[in-house]
Amino acid sequence: MALLEVRNLTTYYETKIGYNEALQGLSFDLEAGGILGLIGESGCGKSTAGFSMMNMIEYPGKIMDGEVILDGKDLIKMDRNELRKVLWKDIAMIPQSAMNALNPAYKVGKQILEAIKLHFPEMSQEEAVAKVEHLLNLVGIDAKWYHGYPHKLSGGMKQRIIIAMALSCDPKVIISDEATTGLDVLIEAQILALLKKIALDRGLGLIIISHDLNMVTAICNRIGIMYAGMLVELTTTENVLRNPKHPYTRALFSSQIDSKDFDKKVTSVDGVVPKLVNPEDKCRFYDRCNRKFEMCERKCPSLISISDNHRVACYLEGDNHE
Amino acid sequence: MKFIVGEDIVLMSSEEKAEVLEKHGLNKPVFEQYLNYIGSILKGDLGYSYRSQKPVTDIVSERLPWTLLLSITNIILSTIIGVAMGTWAAWNRGKKIDIVLNNIFVFFRSMPSFWIGMIFIAVFGARLGWFPIFGAQSVWAGYMGFEKIVDIAMHLIMPTITLVILSVSSIYLTMRYSMIDVLGEDYILMAKMKGLSDKKVRYTHAMRNALIPVVTIVMLNMGYMVGGATIIETVFSYPGMGRLLFEAVTNRDYPVIQGCFFMITICVIAANIIADFIYPLLDPRVV
Repeated sequence: MALLEVRNLTTYYETKIGYNEALQGLSFDLEAGGILGLIGESGCGKSTAGFSMMNMIEYPGKIMDGEVILDGKDLIKMDRNELRKVLWKDIAMIPQSAMNALNPAYKVGKQILEAIKLHFPEMSQEEAVAKVEHLLNLVGIDAKWYHGYPHKLSGGMKQRIIIAMALSCDPKVIISDEATTGLDVLIEAQILALLKKIALDRGLGLIIISHDLNMVTAICNRIGIMYAGMLVELTTTENVLRNPKHPYTRALFSSQIDSKDFDKKVTSVDGVVPKLVNPEDKCRFYDRCNRKFEMCERKCPSLISISDNHRVACYLEGDNHE
Repeated sequence: MKFIVGEDIVLMSSEEKAEVLEKHGLNKPVFEQYLNYIGSILKGDLGYSYRSQKPVTDIVSERLPWTLLLSITNIILSTIIGVAMGTWAAWNRGKKIDIVLNNIFVFFRSMPSFWIGMIFIAVFGARLGWFPIFGAQSVWAGYMGFEKIVDIAMHLIMPTITLVILSVSSIYLTMRYSMIDVLGEDYILMAKMKGLSDKKVRYTHAMRNALIPVVTIVMLNMGYMVGGATIIETVFSYPGMGRLLFEAVTNRDYPVIQGCFFMITICVIAANIIADFIYPLLDPRVV
């Protein structure tokens, strides 16, 4: 059984003219020790997916449908009190702006300690403090920073503190939402290597949300490509690189600049992401696709398996032709 | 100053006039008068009242405790009410309770102070007879001990409520706005994701950061309150600084006016210093 099963997760945002269908029918499994990358351009629902998995969507957002099954329990059906016990202990998230995720009024050690004391009330103060110091060392920060205030730390250090915080209650799944955006490449590499190592060592499930193709292909073993709120392709990293099926995946990779091959022709995808407020029921990539045909305009294709470990939402592939 | 002393002096004979000017040092050059004034202030001497001939220092120090009692009670109450209601409204932003509270406080803010005071006197003082309508204590009753405290408290209730109604709105509005701002911060989301209860998120994580602008407002109010309660103190005949100032202005008692402004200035500065000491306790970024 998979560690985390996400089924048909659908989140809409309320607007004055109808629902913005920011996340539509997200489904995937995550194994222990698995690293799944979710990539896509801005506004494609990546972060919404992350927060929906934590059941942390707030007004005007609303989870319309779906299940997030962790340890046989559905996070979406839980009430707030049940959910609070699971959050951070079983599933933790490194939010997009980890830089601002520390409360300026409290010492960083205290903020990590707070989570530990909450989820392990039986742990003594000394044990908990020792654990925080161990975590700080683990992410490469001197234990003396336990008493430091966030404004005294550099961006990279804050990021690592947040990672330490995410690890503090030994969660089974960690969602990293653009955790390294805005960091310089050296620190980014350090942090990602650290996350990957911890995930493999502890058998965590790691979900990396990013728009950085190079980074995701370098550390993830499976990749989901999202477009306009939907997963359009979900497969192994190797398949994405060698054998991409969805026209959007192909377009995405051909728009990538290759540092080894400066002569490579970089193509961009024409057009813009469609409006997600009351969208038409056609393939969401229809307007920008160069291989569309009349079928694509009639109904939005669903994600189907075309081989082991390869699922695509496109009529050009598999038995999607009805 | 000597040009605006008023009609009394105009009616005096020139010998009397010379005597009065001599007594108060008003026949000297302006610069020298100013130096004398500064010199006396340093010695704790604020001059003598033209009207009662008593030292201004005595008059002011007699009135200051009452004003401090009134304004400190007011500040404590309106801060507690404003902060609690502001936090509550911000947490329930956009919901019915937020809209109701907003309307109530904006309504409070737009009522003239003397009018509220007069309504209170008319209804609760005169008609219902619940509260005394005059002064700070029943001097003639000769209360002692606990009875005296109760008497002072009873006299304090109506002016305090009037002042609270006036000053609570700005605290409420600042707190609500500041809290809404803080609740949108990423560290609040983080606190929620850690699984903390709403109460913990609201009070430990959000409130402390949201209080910083409120401290500024409260301390500014505190400073102004000493002089700014003039209308309320006059309406309720409360023997504080505000009323003293009002009396001094009507009597053209310049040394007393100067003394009042001097004390108000001291209070404003003191309040600002207190604020400066509170900031670092709330926000470690302020050293």
